[in-house]
Amino acid sequence: MTKARKSTQDDDSGLDRRKFLKGAAAAGAATAAAMTAATKVAQAAEAKAPKTEGAANMRGDAFISRPGSDFMVDVIKTLNIDYVASNPASSFRSLHESIVNYGGNKKPEFLTCMHEESSVAIAHGYAKAAGKPMAVLCHSSVGLQHASMAIYNAWVDRAPILMFAGNGVDAAKRRPGVEWTHCVQDPAAMVRDFVKWDDQPGSLQHFAESTVRAYRMMMSPPQDPVLITLDIDLQESPIEEEKLTIPKLSLSAPPQADERALREAAKMLTGASNPVIIADRCVRSQEGVDALVKLAETLQCPVVCNGSRMNFPGTHYLNLSESRAGLVREADVILMLEVQDPWGSLQSMGDPWKDVRRVAKQNVKLIHITLADFLMKSNYQDFQRFQPADLAISADAQTSIAPLTEAVKRELSGTRSAELSGKADAMKKRHRDMVERMKTAAALGWEASPVSTARLSAELYNAIKGENWALAVSDRIAWPKRLWPTSQYHQMMGGSGAAGVGYSAPGAVGVALANRDKGILTVTLQPDGDLCYAPGVLWTAAHHKIPILFLMFNNRGYVQEVMHLQRMAGLHRRDPKTAKVGTMIYDPEVDFGKLAQAFGVYGEGPISDPNAVGPALARALKVVKSGAPALVDVVCQLR
Amino acid sequence: MRIALVLAASLCAGAAFAQDAPKGSAERGKKLFAELNCISCHGTHAQGGGRNSEPPIPAGYPWQGFVNQLRKPRLDMPPYEEKLVSAQDVADMFAYFGSIKAAPAAKDIPQLRNF
Repeated sequence: MTKARKSTQDDDSGLDRRKFLKGAAAAGAATAAAMTAATKVAQAAEAKAPKTEGAANMRGDAFISRPGSDFMVDVIKTLNIDYVASNPASSFRSLHESIVNYGGNKKPEFLTCMHEESSVAIAHGYAKAAGKPMAVLCHSSVGLQHASMAIYNAWVDRAPILMFAGNGVDAAKRRPGVEWTHCVQDPAAMVRDFVKWDDQPGSLQHFAESTVRAYRMMMSPPQDPVLITLDIDLQESPIEEEKLTIPKLSLSAPPQADERALREAAKMLTGASNPVIIADRCVRSQEGVDALVKLAETLQCPVVCNGSRMNFPGTHYLNLSESRAGLVREADVILMLEVQDPWGSLQSMGDPWKDVRRVAKQNVKLIHITLADFLMKSNYQDFQRFQPADLAISADAQTSIAPLTEAVKRELSGTRSAELSGKADAMKKRHRDMVERMKTAAALGWEASPVSTARLSAELYNAIKGENWALAVSDRIAWPKRLWPTSQYHQMMGGSGAAGVGYSAPGAVGVALANRDKGILTVTLQPDGDLCYAPGVLWTAAHHKIPILFLMFNNRGYVQEVMHLQRMAGLHRRDPKTAKVGTMIYDPEVDFGKLAQAFGVYGEGPISDPNAVGPALARALKVVKSGAPALVDVVCQLR
Repeated sequence: MRIALVLAASLCAGAAFAQDAPKGSAERGKKLFAELNCISCHGTHAQGGGRNSEPPIPAGYPWQGFVNQLRKPRLDMPPYEEKLVSAQDVADMFAYFGSIKAAPAAKDIPQLRNF
C-alpha cells in the first residue's frame, strides 16, 4: 500500500512568533486537517483493493480508489485555500472529482464559473479583499487562452492567484480528437510573460514541492499569479510513490528597505520645503494604511493616492489626491511608493501629437520605494517609460513605511518638527477647499437625465452610509474616490490593473465573496460594456449566494473609444458624428435588469430618472442584506 | 489644472467679444451637441465628466473663447472645422449652453451633505 504522509519537518517550531508568518502557521494547522478522515477511509479501502487496480482499463470491475488527484487535494488543503474557481474541463476531471468527494468540497470549495476569465478575475478581486489567494482550475489550452487576459490583469495589479491547468503530456495516452486539440507541449508558454513562476510536475512528489514553492513565491511581494500544470495521467493514475511528503509552508519575510537608504530618504524628506508622497500599489492591509498616515503626519506631507489600493484615508486632511498636478508642480522632493508609472507622474503626453509636458520641477528629487526591479520581464510593457530616481530603493513599500517613519523622527530636530506642525492648518484648509470644489463639480447636471455619474455615486453612498461597506471596483467612476469618506483599507479595492475589460463584474464578485463572512456590505459601480463580456458571473453570484449590489453605470457604449474615434475624425478632417459606429451599444439597447433576472439575480431598471435611483437602491439593498446579489440598471451620462 | 488654465485663458481671450455671439436655436444646439458626440466628454448638460480630461463648459463661457476652442482647440480636444460644423451650428450650441438651467448649490443637495 502506498500512502501520503506529512513531512517530519512539520514539527519545526517558532513560526507563530513572527507576525509575517501568521498565514504559514494557519496553513501548518491545515496540514493536519488535510489528512482527513476521508484520507484514512480511502487508504483503508486501498489496502483491500486488488493488486491489479487501475491496470486493466478494459475491465468493468476495475477501480481506482486512490488516484493521484487525491494527494493533490491533500497538498492544496495544507495551503489553507478556501475556494477554487473553475469552469469544468476534462483535463482536470480527476482533481475536480477529488475536490468534491474526497475533499468534501470544503477548503477548497468549488466555485462554478461560466468563463475562465471570470474564474481568474474572481480570484483576483478575492485576493485583494481577503489578503489570501484563491485557486483556479482551467483547461491547459482553450481554458488558459480564455484565462490569459485576466491573468495579465492580476499580474499588473500584483494580485496572487494559484493557477492550475490540466494537460495531457503523454501523447500515447491521449484520447483521439478533442483531447489532442486541447493538449499542449508547454501550456505555461502562453502566459509565462505574466506569471511569476510555473512548473509542470512529473510526479506527485514533484507536484507537492512545486505547489508549496509556488505558493511561497506568489505570496512574497511583489505578489503575482503562479501556474502549476496538472498532468492528466498524474491525476488519474493510482498513487504509486512510497513516502509521499508535503513540504511545510513557510512564507518569506517581505524585503524591507536598507537602513542606510532609509536614513538618506529621511534626510531628503525632512529637509524638503514641499514634499509629496504618491502611493500606488503600496498597501495590502489596514496596517499599511495606518503606517502611511503616521509617516504623512510626521512630515505634514500631502499624499496623492493613485487609487489602485486604498492607501490613505480620503477623510484625512493630508489626502490631497485631487490636487495632484499642483502638488507635483510645487514639489521639491517626491516620495513614490510602488508607483507603476513614475515617468507619467512627473510628465504628461498630449494625444495625438505626443507632445511631452513637464509637470514637475526639473530639479525635483525623486525617491522611489518599489519592488519593480525584482519582477521585470521584457515582453509586456507594463513597466512604463523609464524614470530615473535620485534614490531608488528596492524594497516592499508597505513593510518599509514604519522604519522610514522612525528614520524621519530621528532626523527631525525640535525646531524642524515645530515648523512642520505649523503646516497643518494650511493643509487642512487645502483639503477642505478641495472637497468643496469636488462637491460643487458634483452638483453640475444634478437633475440630468440620463443620470450624471456624480449623482449616481452620491445616491449609492447615501444608500450605504450607515453600513460597513466596500466598493469592490473603485476606478470606473472617479466620484467615489473624490468624495466618499474612506478610512479603511477594505473600502476601495481599486481596479483591474491592466485595464483589460471584463474584470469589473467578476472581480467585484470575488471581493464580495471575501467580504461575505466579514459582515461587509459589498457594492460596485458596474460598467455595461464590461458586463457584456461574461455576464454568466451573475449566475455564479446567485448560485453561490454571494451578496453584492451591482449598480449599473450604463452609458450604453464603450465611451473611451467614442472619444478616440472623435479625435481621429477631427484629425482626419472627417465627420465626427460617426464616432458611435462600432463603439456605442444601441439598437437594441441591453436590458440589464432582465439579464440579471435571467441568471437568477434580483434586477430592476433601466432607470433614467435621477430621482428614482435612491428608492431602487433601497429595494435592492434589502435583497443584498438577505444574502443574495441584486442589480439596478441606471442609464447614465457617458462619463 | 491644465483644463482649468485653458478655460481661464479662453475666458480672458473671449471676454472682449462676448457681445458678438450670434443668435442661435437652443433646441437645435442641444440636438447637435449630442449628435456631434460632444456629450461623451462634456455631458448632456455641459457638466463635464468624471475625469479631469472631461471638463465642464462653465456658465458664462464667452462666445469667442468657445469658438476658439472649437476650431483650434488647445490640449487634447479634436478640432471641429467649419466644413463639418457650420457657424450656425456653433451659434446654436452656444445658445443651448445659455439655456441650461443653473445647477443647485452643493449645500442645498442633501446627498452631497454626506461629504
